[in-house]
Amino acid sequence: MTTETAVAPPTFEPAAAEDYAMLAEDVGVEYDLRFNRKTPIRESISAALTRKRAERFWALRHVSLRLDHGESLAVIGPNGAGKSTLLQVLGGIIRPSEGRVTGRGRVSGLLTLDVGFDRQLTGRDNTRLGCAFLGLEDAVTREIMPSIIEYAELGDFIDAPLKTYSSGMRARLGFAIATSVDPDILLLDEVLATGDANFREKSKARVLELVQAAKAVVLVTHDMQWVTDYCNRAILLEKGTMIMEGDPQEVVELHRERTRLAREAAQRDAVQARADAKTLLIR
Amino acid sequence: MRASALVRVTQREAPEGFRSDAESPGPLALLREGLADIASRRPLIRYLVEADMKKRGADTALGNLWWVLDPLLQMVVYVVFVTILTRGRSIPDYPLFIFGAILPWKWFNTAVIDATRSLIDADRLIKRVQFPKIVLPLAATTAGVTGFAFGLIPLAVIMLFYPDRISPLIAFIPLIALVQFVFTVGVALLVAAGNVFFRDLGNVAGHVLRLWWFLSPGLYSLAVLDESGVVAHHPFLRTLAGANPFAILLEAYRSVIYGSTSGPPHVPDLASLALLMVASLVFVAGSIIAFKRLEPTFAKVL
Repeated sequence: MTTETAVAPPTFEPAAAEDYAMLAEDVGVEYDLRFNRKTPIRESISAALTRKRAERFWALRHVSLRLDHGESLAVIGPNGAGKSTLLQVLGGIIRPSEGRVTGRGRVSGLLTLDVGFDRQLTGRDNTRLGCAFLGLEDAVTREIMPSIIEYAELGDFIDAPLKTYSSGMRARLGFAIATSVDPDILLLDEVLATGDANFREKSKARVLELVQAAKAVVLVTHDMQWVTDYCNRAILLEKGTMIMEGDPQEVVELHRERTRLAREAAQRDAVQARADAKTLLIR
Repeated sequence: MRASALVRVTQREAPEGFRSDAESPGPLALLREGLADIASRRPLIRYLVEADMKKRGADTALGNLWWVLDPLLQMVVYVVFVTILTRGRSIPDYPLFIFGAILPWKWFNTAVIDATRSLIDADRLIKRVQFPKIVLPLAATTAGVTGFAFGLIPLAVIMLFYPDRISPLIAFIPLIALVQFVFTVGVALLVAAGNVFFRDLGNVAGHVLRLWWFLSPGLYSLAVLDESGVVAHHPFLRTLAGANPFAILLEAYRSVIYGSTSGPPHVPDLASLALLMVASLVFVAGSIIAFKRLEPTFAKVL
């Protein structure tokens, strides 16, 4: 079994000014809620009649960042801060509403583990499909198939339908496929927290390996230990804007501080609300 | 460590670059992109079609036999239904008459229904992996071809009962099917993209398709319209009925499989087919442009 300590943290040396892996310039993503929350036409018409403004909101705004080859960048922040949206924009899955993203190299998003899997198909069929979705050529897929099966520790299960798999097996297969693409830029969304302890260690080792192979990694995680141990830079997102960018230790510190403050404020509000209710009752 | 084997095997040389901003390219650039997407992802489309074949009928006792049974049973239903309606005075060799129409229509019907679901069913994938979404409705359409091809087996069997109607003209079937395929792709792309924004489309599609089938000369021939008094008074209705792409397609299939009520198979109306092919190509180009324009918002809306 591989342990965390067996793999040294990546060393990072700043690249030349033009040698970035990815550049995001003043990126903003705006959602038009008209199509999202499936408002029935009845309501849309009444909204149009009452001249209500179309509901729009910025999931991400004015985010600029530069990612160099060999870097491991952590994105942290509370739920709903726009972390996943940021990964989607960087991965080209959604187009920015303003600003620009430029990348050099093949980007692969491993945003969750068993996406696109079909429960009725065998592990082998799913692997072929998954690789094809990620853009791997046929010959390459055939070549790496044995190592994917081996890494996922599936054995004979590879030819059984996916519905017979345990969630751990599905997670391992998904992880093996996504990291087999050998991307130049790897985008990871909360993948370190899945699976059993054994697999967590294994996937951590694999991610570190990719980082060390001079690949750039952007990682969304709530695992602060990982951020401070293995990332060379971190950004803190809150409500779609970048609060801080810099040394992981400092960013994590700030995040903890702000979380604590927010919690305290919420508690104060709750206490206040209870007090208000009480006075209202007495009156 | 085993993991390193994976990394080494797939080492690639020059990384390609990419760029993403709010600007949307022009129609011609979108069309070019769409065609390039299809060309570069042919293996993916093939895998999707294969996966569809494996899944279809996987949970049934008769399995893939249903590909043959389904159109046959549908034919039986219509033969019973129409025989009762017409009190037995129906078209001669009626089973063959309608089977040649049921088969292509079933393909179209399944392809359109599957296409409407293709994008919304893959929502998780679309939100997490960057790939050309156009492959999904395209695979749905292509998967229908296999069903159609399997349906040719019972067709051959039925034809054995009507030896007078067997002719080498059945060699036209692939050509007519090609025109149908192009037209179907155009429809499939539009309904797939449209259904992302208005899920109601999925509900409407089934009814529109059923109406379309009964308005097309599947259970009857276009000649029936000429005999009816309504068309004599309103000639434009006849033009309208003839302009229906499936009027052209079904009549073409029928002319080579069945012939006419009074005679053996004859060469289809090639001019109409050619015209439909050109119109369908223009239609598909428009559909690809529309699809590519909407594509960047799929991940946000799903």
